[in-house]
Amino acid sequence: MVAAKKHVPIVKKHKTRFARHQSDRFDRVGESWRKPKGIDGRVRRRFRGTIRMPKIGYGSNKKTRFLTPSGHKAFLVHNVKDLELLLMHNRTHAAEIASAVSSRKRIDIISRAKQIGVKVTNAKAKVTTEV
Amino acid sequence: MAAALPNISPDLIWEVVRTNNSYLHKTGAARNGGVQFSRDPLNLKNVHSRKYAGFVNDKAVGVLPNEKGGVVLVTKKPAAVTQPSKSVAKTTIGGGKSTRKTYKAVASQVAKTGYRPDLRAAAVERASAIRHSQLPVKADPEPKLRGKKAKAAAAGES
Repeated sequence: MVAAKKHVPIVKKHKTRFARHQSDRFDRVGESWRKPKGIDGRVRRRFRGTIRMPKIGYGSNKKTRFLTPSGHKAFLVHNVKDLELLLMHNRTHAAEIASAVSSRKRIDIISRAKQIGVKVTNAKAKVTTEV
Repeated sequence: MAAALPNISPDLIWEVVRTNNSYLHKTGAARNGGVQFSRDPLNLKNVHSRKYAGFVNDKAVGVLPNEKGGVVLVTKKPAAVTQPSKSVAKTTIGGGKSTRKTYKAVASQVAKTGYRPDLRAAAVERASAIRHSQLPVKADPEPKLRGKKAKAAAAGES
């Protein structure tokens, strides 16, 4: 496996998910973000001590967006033929085996990935057995 | 372009097939920024771009792994681009050759003759990647046991 290309440090400006206002108080209010629209909403008016609202400023640096901590971008792979696409990109992309691929085919993909030096993000899934 | 189709330039073909063709492999934009790769055997970098699109250009270079080790250098003949079965010339550079000699052979055939000098570096890179992939794979190192498992292993030995 080849290490990823050098890149600028990855900075996550907001690590937790943005939860919808008052989703912590009521079971019927889900966590998915909804922008407060009420006339008196204190979150909408950005009062001190209220939750932060998502905004474009929280976005990641374009150079590090989609990067995994290893510095690769994940590339979904269903078979060995897909994997071959990464032959010249093993320093920028890592293979991610699709969830529906059987363990028998995963073994082929993983062994070929080792030959061409491609990192597989989920190499242990479905292949290893608990001892 | 060949005499049979004098009016069709590679630029026109590219305009037609740029958005969709059988070699193109698109990925979702939300997953990794929507990278576009190409499965074209005459594409040295596997990227979907005009420069590397081998099936579009009259002159194109492909480097493929040879079954018995080494690489096969594939070039397109500009005189026969409309006859797919005759349009490629193959040169085998065996695995017995040293890598430096392989690169030299690739570079001289791709660039020195003025065939596609812009693809010299990419062709050598690909030859190198293929040669590297033909090396025997090292076995994974034994995982170092920690904590309870390490203690149990030590107790089992003594």
